[in-house]
Amino acid sequence: MDNENPTILNASDLPSRKRQIKRRLPSGLSNVDMGLLSSIGPTAEPNDPFSTGNVSDPLSSGEDEDSDGDDFDVEQIDEQEIYDLISTISDPEHPLSLGELAVVNLPHIKVTDNQDRSVMSHVLVEITPTITHCSLATVIGLGIRVRLEQALPPRFRLDVRIREGTHSTADQVNKQLNDKERVAAACENESLMAVLRKMLETCK
Amino acid sequence: MRLKKITSLPPLSDRAWLSAPHPTLPLLATCSSNKTVQISSLRTFTPLSTIEGGHKRSIRSVAWKPNTGPQDNPESVLATGSFDATAGIWRRHEGQHEEHIHSHDHDDEYGRYGEEEEEEEEWRFAVVLDGHESEVKSVAWSAGGSFLATCSRDKSVWVWEEMDDDNFETIAVLQEHTQDVKCVKWHPEEELLASSSYDDTIRLYKEDVDDWACCAVLTGHTSTVWDIDFEKPKPSHGSAFSRLVSCSDDLTVRIWTRTSSSDSSSFINKPPSILRTNSIEEQWTETACLPAAHTRTIYSVSWCSSQPGRIVSCGGDGKLAVYEEFEVEAHEHGEKKKEWRIVAEVGGAHGVCEVNNVCWAKRWDKGKRFEGEDLVISTGDDGVVSFWELALE
Repeated sequence: MDNENPTILNASDLPSRKRQIKRRLPSGLSNVDMGLLSSIGPTAEPNDPFSTGNVSDPLSSGEDEDSDGDDFDVEQIDEQEIYDLISTISDPEHPLSLGELAVVNLPHIKVTDNQDRSVMSHVLVEITPTITHCSLATVIGLGIRVRLEQALPPRFRLDVRIREGTHSTADQVNKQLNDKERVAAACENESLMAVLRKMLETCK
Repeated sequence: MRLKKITSLPPLSDRAWLSAPHPTLPLLATCSSNKTVQISSLRTFTPLSTIEGGHKRSIRSVAWKPNTGPQDNPESVLATGSFDATAGIWRRHEGQHEEHIHSHDHDDEYGRYGEEEEEEEEWRFAVVLDGHESEVKSVAWSAGGSFLATCSRDKSVWVWEEMDDDNFETIAVLQEHTQDVKCVKWHPEEELLASSSYDDTIRLYKEDVDDWACCAVLTGHTSTVWDIDFEKPKPSHGSAFSRLVSCSDDLTVRIWTRTSSSDSSSFINKPPSILRTNSIEEQWTETACLPAAHTRTIYSVSWCSSQPGRIVSCGGDGKLAVYEEFEVEAHEHGEKKKEWRIVAEVGGAHGVCEVNNVCWAKRWDKGKRFEGEDLVISTGDDGVVSFWELALE
């Protein structure tokens, strides 16, 4: 085992979506949406399904009808969405998730989701290995790649990188993780896939 | 100019890696992650047959052997390279089809050719070439068809020679690269082999007495060199002035020119080398870096054979770019200077998917506009193969 005593975050401290606001509003309406929310003010309980329902329902049923339907088929993907997909992946050597080990951190995820679904969108995930010489950094990175490739629509290009200064051979790991041919070949390697499947078992 | 899509083949069930046009017949071979090779017609742009059963993993590369079979009994031979660490040799007689091509008028010919192909599935998996320790990434036949080169993630390049029918002998194992070897290509006329690698270099090899050895190392790229292609020599220049194009994860496409070679007459005045190990050495110099066209890894590059000074590239950004070499006045001395420009680009060539391979091929379909027209063939992660013409507008 590389790191016998990693720092562990409490599951309840991990970032999660605070408000269940429907993100299907067309871009033209986002200002109105913001306006209504702010008028309700901080007294509105963010987790109260009632308040969000009140805000979003009249909007979506009222003005959405003649706007372009295509955008509603696919939900906008944001950083929290990506975090939710990958933070529950298990570490290959600790009985903990990548979120709990702070290998995956919300501020280190960048999403550029193009409104035009016929154009490529982009996800960058920077991972922080628990120790700078972690030999499993490549396997962890590969697990994240495979998870996102399976879960995200094909328009997303993925870049999984080691966060700068957190690993002794970051350049090598990055090059390997972002070589599509190596990743494709790894996905046909049964013993490696068995390890990855085990890591992904804990994903919802 | 503009790249205009002619049509596409129906999508394969999985990622398509590479398409190779037959050297003389209107056929295209496309290899895929679904472990098969699809043969399609370049006359009708329709699938004809599927070759399967030879490989346990993705087929990454496919190459047609040139000059195969006697005129009266033509045979097609394919080499495949797979992630299962083997290369395969496949054979099939083309005799009957040639007959059909010549004995029917055009409209009939299209139909008959297709039907005939569907009926007889006679591709024979002739040989398995074992030896590489990990995925075979690329396969290539030498110009005369006497040598086959294979390369692998095991960092080696192998040269095979067909001794007699279905008997292949390893005549060289070249371990010059320090990493995964991505691509092998032969010079269009000479027995000169080039390989490109994850170690960011390109290496050239040829036979020295009875040993194959490295004769040049091309450095300059700052990341994986994914693909390389030799220019077809212009008759006026001779092959001494060979050029090679390369594309890389560093987002550049570069041109390399041979500036000296031991066996070329243009350098006869060079003092003879004393060391035998130097006798095969060649000098290759980076002579151009093409204007930037891509925003993600450039996976493939191809030199047009009918039109010298024309190149097409594709990459992870889903884009195709065509470049041309122009002669421009250099202001200071009034001399002519060569300059590369992007003459056509198309984004989202395979929708939101990446484009893995691009090549030029002779145009055979009804829409051919002029003799010697070449079309562009792109192959993508969506399993689709698309055909493009270069429209002058």
